[in-house]
Amino acid sequence: MTSISEQLSDALGIMIMGMGLVFTFLSILIVGIGIVAKLFPAPVADIPAPQAPSNTAVATHLDPKLVAAITSAIHQYRAK
Amino acid sequence: MEGLMAFWSETGIANFTGGQLLMMGVGCLLLFLAIAKGFEPLLLLPIGFGAILANIPNAGFTDEGGLLYYAYHVGIETGIFPLLIFMGVGALTDFGALIANPKTLLLGAAAQFGIFATLLGAIGLNLVPGFEFSMQDAAAIAIIGGADGPTAIFLASKLAPELLGAIAVAAYSYMALVPLIQPPIMKLLTTKAEREIKMEQLREVSKKEKIIFPLMVLGMTILFLPAATPLVGMFCLGNLMRESGVVDRLSKTAQNELINIVTIFLGLAVGSKLSAEQFLRIETLGILVLGAVAFSIGTATGVLMAKLMCKLSGGKVNPLIGAAGVSAVPMAARVVNKVGLESNNQNFLLMHAMGPNVAGVLGSAVAAGVLLAVLG
Repeated sequence: MTSISEQLSDALGIMIMGMGLVFTFLSILIVGIGIVAKLFPAPVADIPAPQAPSNTAVATHLDPKLVAAITSAIHQYRAK
Repeated sequence: MEGLMAFWSETGIANFTGGQLLMMGVGCLLLFLAIAKGFEPLLLLPIGFGAILANIPNAGFTDEGGLLYYAYHVGIETGIFPLLIFMGVGALTDFGALIANPKTLLLGAAAQFGIFATLLGAIGLNLVPGFEFSMQDAAAIAIIGGADGPTAIFLASKLAPELLGAIAVAAYSYMALVPLIQPPIMKLLTTKAEREIKMEQLREVSKKEKIIFPLMVLGMTILFLPAATPLVGMFCLGNLMRESGVVDRLSKTAQNELINIVTIFLGLAVGSKLSAEQFLRIETLGILVLGAVAFSIGTATGVLMAKLMCKLSGGKVNPLIGAAGVSAVPMAARVVNKVGLESNNQNFLLMHAMGPNVAGVLGSAVAAGVLLAVLG
């Protein structure tokens, strides 16, 4: 019985230490991710952002005429 | 006539023992679960078949020189198979959701409590007559709570090889049962209002961040926990191959062909450990029970941690995502998504749950490293 209670206290020690280490490790990682995020902010978000609207703007400008042209072409082709 | 007698004495019918038949039944049950129920078929099918092969009398699959003997000896005793799988998992994992919301790492950490609580439980089980788990055995059983097959097999092969079959089967069975085990616990610990919380959309993550991430994880493991570097190192290698974008061929191989080939042999080798004399013991029953407990506690502590984060953040975190902290990628995240949708059919939590989900993989690898460092 004494050996089991010893084992139990050992296991308790490993539990506390293990959870402590897991939390410490992952907390440091959180800090690390934060630093990397500051150093290398997502430029991807900035560059396509202005591009994307201009693209869609061009696309919408062209759309009605293009669509009309294409649909009429299709109609003509199908009518043959 | 003598020839016929000699032939008869070599047949399976003449040599079957009750235990072998029973274990073939277990193998067939695993095949049934894999084929008819779709439970982790990629692993349970080869494991089930391996169990059948390992219990054929006079076939010698698991004797020295047999196929399964070598598959086990080369792949699992050395720890190579689970590590190769881990590399593939690394190549399959997108850490974007985690990098975008790094606080979810805490959920992955909290869910590891299931592992350490079960360590205590396994030692406590020694009070019941018939159980004699050493600290190493207890640690290998507890890692089932990490809900990560390769990690469980790796740790069991290092700490308690004789329990490996039961541990692997328990780990994969419970991973398959995630959709049944987790939702009741999640619902018990959260209110409907909490389950309906919508989370902010995740920010964009730059390519550089994604490339630096595996290197940073590796660096930290080298500094603080070298015992975990086999697992974390292979995982990071796979992830770096994926994110660097310059070795697409290697990355594709790691996440397809290689992981598939290794899975076949890993399954067979694990199945070979399901021989009657190793599996039909009272310990196996204890392992199955402890595994379920480990899993449930991990889910519960993950959800409780998420509730705490919800309170601290002023209700910006949906507590359900904590349940995904017990790795089991991507099943646990899908379960979170499903339970979230049940409360509010416009609330898609999948991406938010992927953060704690992959954090759980890291968390259980770190926990395995701690156990290896202390008990290995």
